[in-house]
Amino acid sequence: MTSSPPAVLELSGITKHFGDITANRAIDWSLNAGRIYALLGENGAGKSTLMSILAGRYQPDAGTIRRQGRTVRFQSPAQALAAGIGMVYQRFMLVAPLSVAENIRLHGAAGRSRSDRQGASIRELAVRYGLAVDPDALVQDLSMGERQRVEILKLLNRRADILIFDEPTAVLTHTEIAGLFEVFQRLRDEGKTIVFITHKLEEVMAVADEIAVMRRGRMVARLAAADVRSQHDLARLMVGREIILNVDKPPAAPGETVLAVSGLSGPAGSSRPGFEEIAFEVRRGEILAIIGVAGNGQEDLAAGLAGLTPLKTGRLTFKGRRWRAPQWGRKPHEGIAYIPADRDRTASVGAIDLVENFMLTQLAVFSRALRLDRRRAAAATAAAVERFAIRGGGLKAPAGNLSGGNLQKLVLARELARHPDLLLAEQPTQGLDVRATEAVWQALLHQRAASAVLLITGDLKEALSLADRIAVIFRGRILDTIAARDSAAIDRIKLLMAGLETG
Amino acid sequence: MIEELAFIGQIAVKSSIAVLLATLGEIIAERSGVLNLGVEGMMLTGALAGAAVGVATGNPVAATVAAALAGGLLALVHGFFSISLRVNQVLSGLALTILGLGLTSFLGRPLIGTRPGVRLAPWPIPGLAEIPLIGDIFFRQSVLAYLAYILVPLCWVLLYRTRTGLKIRAAGEDAAAVDAAGINVFRLRYLCTLAGGLGAGLAGAYLSLAYTPGWKESMTGGQGWVAIAMVIFAGWNPLKAVIGAFLFGGLTALQFYFQAIGIELIPAYILRMLPYVLTIAVMVLVNTGGGRRRGASPAALGVAFNREG
Ligand SMILES: Nc1ncnc2c1ncn2[C@@H]1O[C@H](COP(=O)(O)OP(=O)(O)OP(=O)(O)O)[C@@H](O)[C@H]1O
Ligand SMILES: [Mg+2]
Repeated sequence: MTSSPPAVLELSGITKHFGDITANRAIDWSLNAGRIYALLGENGAGKSTLMSILAGRYQPDAGTIRRQGRTVRFQSPAQALAAGIGMVYQRFMLVAPLSVAENIRLHGAAGRSRSDRQGASIRELAVRYGLAVDPDALVQDLSMGERQRVEILKLLNRRADILIFDEPTAVLTHTEIAGLFEVFQRLRDEGKTIVFITHKLEEVMAVADEIAVMRRGRMVARLAAADVRSQHDLARLMVGREIILNVDKPPAAPGETVLAVSGLSGPAGSSRPGFEEIAFEVRRGEILAIIGVAGNGQEDLAAGLAGLTPLKTGRLTFKGRRWRAPQWGRKPHEGIAYIPADRDRTASVGAIDLVENFMLTQLAVFSRALRLDRRRAAAATAAAVERFAIRGGGLKAPAGNLSGGNLQKLVLARELARHPDLLLAEQPTQGLDVRATEAVWQALLHQRAASAVLLITGDLKEALSLADRIAVIFRGRILDTIAARDSAAIDRIKLLMAGLETG
Repeated sequence: MIEELAFIGQIAVKSSIAVLLATLGEIIAERSGVLNLGVEGMMLTGALAGAAVGVATGNPVAATVAAALAGGLLALVHGFFSISLRVNQVLSGLALTILGLGLTSFLGRPLIGTRPGVRLAPWPIPGLAEIPLIGDIFFRQSVLAYLAYILVPLCWVLLYRTRTGLKIRAAGEDAAAVDAAGINVFRLRYLCTLAGGLGAGLAGAYLSLAYTPGWKESMTGGQGWVAIAMVIFAGWNPLKAVIGAFLFGGLTALQFYFQAIGIELIPAYILRMLPYVLTIAVMVLVNTGGGRRRGASPAALGVAFNREG
């Protein structure tokens, strides 16, 4: 940086402890107007905590924040917002049963302005920044991309000029991500400051002006995006070594068919469309990926196969035994391990500790007569923590305190420990940093030798890196199944996912 | 025949007002996400405070205000435990009811048998009271009944047509989102809990100043619980609360009527049970019929809010 305009926000010595954990340690950082900042760092590095401090949700234990030269202390999000700092959280802060307009009005309700700057001005903001969304729609009916636009509108309506995004792209489709970045650029050109957290290095290269990297609670690098030559440099800054996310995939040696389904539709007893006429088979020793943009029925399919929701019609053959669809979910199947996309609620219980979470799906393994063998469970958990480098408050800490990536690694380790015949992995690397992603990918590939792996994902790179065959799901139907070795397939998969080509 | 109908109708409305006032208050509290099972206790405390201040001053306004404030004060205790300390709301509410029962039965002893200091007699509204049937049923009631009539649409407008109402409804659905919007969830919930207490206190005032003037131990006779049931029956909507309250009042009036004309078809104690039993029956029907109502329940009802948790 040669010419330095006055900082709109300056942090010095920001420190935050959660019990024994130091989430942020003496952080200095300054933000300027009209720039887009990318904040990088491994899972648990303290990125969300730092941003929550800026947005007034947490108070720092030490350090000062200066806004346009004046020292400020935010006791609540309200005060940060009044100072022009707004945040879009990982978990959207929208009231689902209310309409878009009501949500925006709710946000404005805290403000001083008496007038109902509703209708006209919201539409005007929407047009100006390319944030089209129907004001009368209920939030619960909106896609993730639309919800995010509502979040941005909420902040703009309050005249925020520092906008913070916590992993905004994790829940978006390719097109929605491109749209979001255009919005970022328009906001920047209007002189606003954007800070976004991401784990995807290509996103940093695509849109950021400035880059900051955190590691274990410290800010370890601040640099201009122009000075970064490649993603390799970034990866090295983040984890101290080069990671380019290229896993070696030896050719598959498929064995017997573990699961075959045909004519599968569901979910039963729901008005949602779900999925229809699904047919595939997956064999021991191979990874079959089902790829699709979020909301095309793969979530329902995963829940149905895992036995969480009932299936409507169709047939399944699992380990040689035949099932009719309605019978499938009646009782749990020996030999299936499931890694759900929702790691906070479906996969784990936040209030209980790591060891107990590790035991959850394998109580039989860890019980001796009527007693649970906690000591053996603790040893197994400790081994998993070691193998996957799970960082957090230790075995006795509640799982809810783990950062997203660390929790995911714990769930993965638990499910692998069950030695499944079929591993059902749904969005296994969503929100994970490169190092964790690499660890998960390697674990899945490793598991391929022993199990059939069904990978349900929205991430094309993940599917291409891991899968032997890729089935594309669109509007609840599998359009085509493509061999992953076929390099010409990539473009076709993209078109299929977008529904621009039929199978 | 018409006369009898007018009489039964008048008693029905008269018997529904306490439940209606308490229900309105509880709707506001629950809409913001605070479940207060202490309605019975707040109502009793309000009734005693109203009766006592009535005896001491003879001033109806002072007695009514004292009753409302007593209910509100108790509600703030619930607020402190459930909002600030994040104690389980069911436990805190139950404790409040038990506290109210014990406290009033102890403090109310000197008042038993004294002449009521204030009687809010029926006050026919000139003009309206002359309308045949309707006038007899609705407009020959006490002032507190008219207050309830006004509060019903006011509560509805508050909840559905104002910014404050939007904040209240949102806080009951998703407190974290409301907090992120820069709204003080704690203050909002305290105020709504207070409103619930004021409503229950007024309901108590109605009982000890208008319905059966004077103090009697446990004079609410479970109407606080009926009010809590009515909140669910009404789907947290103030307008529908009217229907529920009148249903309860109507059944109470029928019971009086049968007793009065001396029909001994059904034993008296079963008749006295009727309003409560039927209230429960209605609740069961409403909640099993398609499960639509349950969807109306505020999603964050009974869930304390904690920013760092
Ligand atoms: N409310 C909390 N209570 C206790 N510990 C917490 C809490 N929030 C975060 N932590 C801990 O603080 C550290 C930093 O967490 P934070 O969520 O800021 O990480 P992050 O960089 O956002 O990670 P991710 O990329 O996985 O989202 C972690 O070790 C986490 O376990
Ligand atoms: Mg985070």
